[in-house]
Amino acid sequence: MELLVALIIGVLVATGVYLCLRARTFSVVLGLTLLGYGVNVFLFSMGGLKINQVAVVGASADPTDPLTQALVLTAIVIGFAMTAFLVVLALRSQGEQHSDHVDGQDGEQRS
Amino acid sequence: MTHWIIAPILIPALAGLLLLLEVRERQRLRRVTGLLSCIALIPVALVLWQQAAQGDVGVYQLGNWQAPFGIVLVLDKLSALMLLLTAVLALPALLYGCAGDDRRGPNFHSLFQFQLMGINGAFLTGDLFNLFVFFEVLLIASYGLALHGRGPERVKAGLHYVVLNLAGSALFLIALGLIYGTTGTLNMADFAVKAQALEGSDQILLTVAVLLLWVVFGLKAALFPLYFWLPATYANATAPVAALFAIMTKVGIYAILRMQALAFSDGPLAGLGSDLLWWLALVTLGLAAIGALAAQRLGGLVAYLVVMSVGTLVAALSLGDPETVGPALYYLIHSTLICGALFLLCDLLRRSRGDSDDRLESGPPLAHGNWLGAAFFAAAVAVVGLPPLSGFVGKVALLQAVPSAPYWALLLLGGLAGLMGLSRAGSTLFWRVHGEVVGKTLGKRRVFAMLALLLMSPALTLAAEPLLQLCAGVADQLADQTIYIRAVLGGAS
Amino acid sequence: MMLPAIVLLPLLAALLPMFTRHLGRRWCALLVALPVVAALGLLAQASLPIWEGGMQQWSMAWLPSLGLNLALRLDGLALLFCVLILGIGLLVVVYAHYYLPAKDDGGRFYTLLLLFMFSMLGVVTSDNLLFLVFFWELTSLSSFLLISYKQYDSAARKGARMALTVTGMGGLALLAGVLLIGHVVGSFSLSTVLENGALVQQHALYPVILCLVLLGAFTKSAQFPFHFWLPHAMAAPTPVSAYLHSATMVKAGIFLLARFYPVLAGTDLWFYLVTTAGMATLLWGAVWALFQHDLKGLLAFSTISHLGLITLLFGLNSPLAAVAGVFHIINHATFKAGLFMAAGIIDQQTGTRDMRRINGLWKYMPYTAVLAMVASAAMAGVPLLNGFLSKEMFFTETLQSDQLGAMSWLLPLGATLGGVFSVAYSARFIHDVFFNGEPVNLPKFPPQEPPRYMKIPVEILVALCVAVGVFPAITVAALLAVAATATLGGTLPEYHLAVWHGLNIPLLMSVIALVGGIAVYACRRRLFAWYARLPEIDAKRVFEGRIQAVVRLAAGVTRRLQTGSLQGYVAWVLALVAAVLVWQLPNLASVTGERAMLPVDGVSVLCALMLIAAALLTTVLHRQRMMAIICLSVVGLIVSLIFVRFSAPDLALTQLSVEVVSVLLLMLAMYFLPSRAKADSNPLRVSRDAVLAVLIGTGVAVVALLVMTTDTATISPFFLENSVPGGGGTNVVNVILVDFRGFDTFGEITVLGIAALGIYALLSDLKLASAKYDPFGRPWAHDAHPLVLVTLSRPLLPLALMIAVYIFLRGHNLPGGGFVAGLITSVALLLQYVASGVTWVHKRIPGDYHPLVALGVLLAGLTGVASWAFDAPFLTSTFTHVHLPLIGDFELASAMLFDTGVFLTVVGATLLILANLGKLSLLDDKKETT
Repeated sequence: MELLVALIIGVLVATGVYLCLRARTFSVVLGLTLLGYGVNVFLFSMGGLKINQVAVVGASADPTDPLTQALVLTAIVIGFAMTAFLVVLALRSQGEQHSDHVDGQDGEQRS
Repeated sequence: MTHWIIAPILIPALAGLLLLLEVRERQRLRRVTGLLSCIALIPVALVLWQQAAQGDVGVYQLGNWQAPFGIVLVLDKLSALMLLLTAVLALPALLYGCAGDDRRGPNFHSLFQFQLMGINGAFLTGDLFNLFVFFEVLLIASYGLALHGRGPERVKAGLHYVVLNLAGSALFLIALGLIYGTTGTLNMADFAVKAQALEGSDQILLTVAVLLLWVVFGLKAALFPLYFWLPATYANATAPVAALFAIMTKVGIYAILRMQALAFSDGPLAGLGSDLLWWLALVTLGLAAIGALAAQRLGGLVAYLVVMSVGTLVAALSLGDPETVGPALYYLIHSTLICGALFLLCDLLRRSRGDSDDRLESGPPLAHGNWLGAAFFAAAVAVVGLPPLSGFVGKVALLQAVPSAPYWALLLLGGLAGLMGLSRAGSTLFWRVHGEVVGKTLGKRRVFAMLALLLMSPALTLAAEPLLQLCAGVADQLADQTIYIRAVLGGAS
Repeated sequence: MMLPAIVLLPLLAALLPMFTRHLGRRWCALLVALPVVAALGLLAQASLPIWEGGMQQWSMAWLPSLGLNLALRLDGLALLFCVLILGIGLLVVVYAHYYLPAKDDGGRFYTLLLLFMFSMLGVVTSDNLLFLVFFWELTSLSSFLLISYKQYDSAARKGARMALTVTGMGGLALLAGVLLIGHVVGSFSLSTVLENGALVQQHALYPVILCLVLLGAFTKSAQFPFHFWLPHAMAAPTPVSAYLHSATMVKAGIFLLARFYPVLAGTDLWFYLVTTAGMATLLWGAVWALFQHDLKGLLAFSTISHLGLITLLFGLNSPLAAVAGVFHIINHATFKAGLFMAAGIIDQQTGTRDMRRINGLWKYMPYTAVLAMVASAAMAGVPLLNGFLSKEMFFTETLQSDQLGAMSWLLPLGATLGGVFSVAYSARFIHDVFFNGEPVNLPKFPPQEPPRYMKIPVEILVALCVAVGVFPAITVAALLAVAATATLGGTLPEYHLAVWHGLNIPLLMSVIALVGGIAVYACRRRLFAWYARLPEIDAKRVFEGRIQAVVRLAAGVTRRLQTGSLQGYVAWVLALVAAVLVWQLPNLASVTGERAMLPVDGVSVLCALMLIAAALLTTVLHRQRMMAIICLSVVGLIVSLIFVRFSAPDLALTQLSVEVVSVLLLMLAMYFLPSRAKADSNPLRVSRDAVLAVLIGTGVAVVALLVMTTDTATISPFFLENSVPGGGGTNVVNVILVDFRGFDTFGEITVLGIAALGIYALLSDLKLASAKYDPFGRPWAHDAHPLVLVTLSRPLLPLALMIAVYIFLRGHNLPGGGFVAGLITSVALLLQYVASGVTWVHKRIPGDYHPLVALGVLLAGLTGVASWAFDAPFLTSTFTHVHLPLIGDFELASAMLFDTGVFLTVVGATLLILANLGKLSLLDDKKETT
């Protein structure tokens, strides 16, 4: 199961990284969102995986690590705030530069 | 129970929130609220410095949960110094903003206060994840501020800044996850203790985590190859924002210094990644000098001078020797304040040059050219490290503390490049003029705010000896990490 | 206290013109001259012990931790220079009063001049090496301002910048050199350093130190190959040239050679470096001086040549040569200052400095002519004038030197050759200007004698030339003796100042120089013709060109790095990350730890495969935005299933609700962005990015696997144990969020709130054209608020709110809490926006959500502050048990209040973001309907 989760993390991070490197704001938003998923699952996995052991006192014999969950929760919220900001910034960029290219100009391919 | 420690976080937070409740149109009230908060931060920072100067490390356990379980705020000399520096920089910057720049978009004052909250929080927290949270606070506020005002260039630079830092935040989380996964803790002091005990694969994982942290902090501090966002972002930001941002790179530097002093000054992990920092910092210094030479705009030139100061500082700090940390801290204070002054000055020049803006080309003659010229001359002398101003003291102190030929060469040649760039800029802006004066009036508040920052340089020069002693004291305390660890963990170490 | 007063008086005087400008130039000059006279008086008094072989010292601690103290010292050498600086400075002050154009009130001029005087005095009297460098740099800065005095003249600006760049570079080298000396000697005190010359010379760093210090001296004194800036500094007003290029600035480099003579001189390296530079400069300057048509240009090159001569003397490593060098410092200062002033008078009276036009002035201004002729004769080394004496000593010393072995004859030969050209250009100065026919087309005609008092400074200087030349023993001998003693740092060699030394080789060399010089001048036409055919080398243009080339190179490097392309920047960051992973991870012995893995089940594998497929599809289809969003939401959905699977219901709930809002946001954004994007990545970049992606993905996965299968002792058990007794809740995750680590949550909601503010700011007055068609090419429906949606959504609101309250209340004990409740509420409210429109909603609830955000964070914060009342730190919680019908028994904790803050912030922030984003489309609608 851990292998499966590691695989998922790997794929999420890799796809996220790849999309972050694209030229369109929308793709970058997608990439950062995927990267965010990957990072959240990664952070979550740092507490170890447990099945049916929710961290509620009295509900499970060997509760899972509650701290990483709390951290991920914070990370999700912050990530949401950041994504929202970026999305709107992308709109602003489109509005001011009339292009959804991350460098504000279309077509031109620069290294 | 003294609650002073948390005041630098709560005061701006409260001000920022009150600003949201206030009626949008009552500009005067908003300015007063913001300024009052900034004014209040100065005595608070002084009180905190007073406390820290005793030599004890103050610990504030949030929610009354003891470390390492709860979050703690830790006040040592270094944090107190940084708080004071921030407060001293913020007031003139905001005052400058109150002369009209605050009206160029909504929510300027709230964002400014939240930015201060984030910066102060980052300087105070003793918890790694909490550091992440405060980094996010200061970043999200800085995004808003960087985009304050309008213009496609600003939006483009802002977009770059935001995306890079979002990637940085993701890396930060990965590093934190690894730190938790290997040491099982988030408290900095506890981490410093537990990290020493790691071996085998855990040690490798921790190395990865720390190197990733260096990348994250390097991105904030603007180290090669992570500084590329800075010139455009700073040069395009509204003047008071750019001035405040002079402290932002120092937050990254602070984080590096703090982690290094706490966990990597001795023991099995001593000097982890410091070679890397040293070389990257030297490259940064060199490339920033080249960038300063090539700058086509005054704003860009100043931004490169900021990057140059980063290279200068990180190289010295990476040595981790208290003998170098002291002078480096003096230089940090100097460069923060003087770069802030330069950004404000740059804006004053822009205002007087109409369409020529801050481009280094022939433009209209300046109204008040003599006074602006004198101020520019003084700022230039200070920032490139010539006598009689504080840059010279800082440079001499650093050169004496870092006996390394490449560092000397780069620092001195960087100074020469800055001198060439600034003399070209100055003679072009002030003397290569044609046509009629187009300038608007500068505004007393703006001039006052700029002078307040600029005059810090002679003040720093006159008080150089006590300040150098003070910085040496900070460095000494930093060198003995057991003081910090014992204060936080209560003798558990 | 006399020493600091001497140095500070000019500084004081520099400030005066600021207040007296309006009184006119006469007052300025007078007020400035008085402190200088006073300083001279003080100097006379302070010099009393020096004539008896003593010294004056003064010091005050400034930066003891850096070894930088305010220390002054007046010995023979310093005294000599002080006399020159103050004396000639005073003459220049008087002269400038008559020289400056009528409309110049002189305020700025005198301020800068006196600042420069102050810096020079500091240089020559410093008793601390760092203090010396301090003043050294000040002279560079103040001379920059003086040279660029005519600021609107391009030549002045460029000349000044050139001087600043060259001397600035030298200053930095000097700083490095001085720091090394301090390192070697262990002190920056000049007195200590002078006593420890041997220590420096035996140190391994000696060659480096020597080169650095010489670099400082040579750049300042315009020694070859750094000489080129000096002629261009002639763009300065003539009084400035008379001051800077006769007695002061350029002599600072010479002063440095003299000052460090006991420390650095005496080695072969010193001999070769200093002599070579001196000889090259001497000849180069002398030869080119002849060809200058500009009066000041001739003087500039002659200055270079004479500086070379003095440098050469110091390089010879012989005490007598050093004495000669000190002597020539005095002589050159007097005749050259006089010549510059005379040139200024001629310039002023004729309106030009071109010697091809200024001819035959003898007829018009004979008195000035006599003065200028005497001074140039001194420059040529004619007997009975001071220049002759030092030149004679110079010739003698070149003959004495045997350090070049069999090649020793080179020195006297070079010296004689220099003498020949020196006579030739002096002859040209005399003959061309005052005789040689009639003036040619002068801008001002006829020239007249200048005002009476303008000539006084020149008269004084010329009188000195004659007096020293005829009666050296009673005029200059004493000063020379004390200065030379101080230079040598010990006993003075035997020497004899006299006009007549008998018939000897030096006299023969003088005769050769005189005859040869006149002969060369006689063939000047042919020489000028030869010169005219030379490719014109304008040092300024060459220098500017070089600088431009450096700037272009710098710009090129910067452009390559600073491409302005975000993709490049992100790639750098990620490449660094990949490098870290590739560097460190191969060291791992194994990618799994000691803990056994959990068994895999079919459903999990299926879900994982779906997630991977969806993630990959998002990547592949990222240009088809609608599809990408759908795939992305599948990914998000499965991620929340992962959380469910691995015992994290709180996370799953949060993830799910955030997912809903995020997708809503993305859809809204997509509405305004171009719906499809062109493929604009070349294959090379795609593969580069793919490599980065795979490297980082693999690295992170490996790391995750390793940590997941390793047992680590963490701080978590504490939370499980203390959740109920300390936090009053059984849902540990929630208790951590609102209590143990409530401060994080406080920060987190602040972030959310700030994001909302920032977004609001970004959206204000943003105008966007929306798409008319959806991504599939169908027109968007005209019916903005379909009836079905309206009727369905309105009853949904109370229902959703009830669920939110429920989730909120149970949060402390079971999965839920303020954040999720907040999101549910927001979604319900947003649905009203979508279904019924902004206008409808805003009629019913207030539209500005700023206060809501503020209230939320404020509530959370105030809950924290409340604990101060109980003398507990920020955010300390307390709780009690309460029974409510329907919901059951639960604890009412102060943390609930905190959670309410979270709830309010979330609602406020989400609505602030989305409602404003929604308004964009409203703007658009209105535009379309009108």
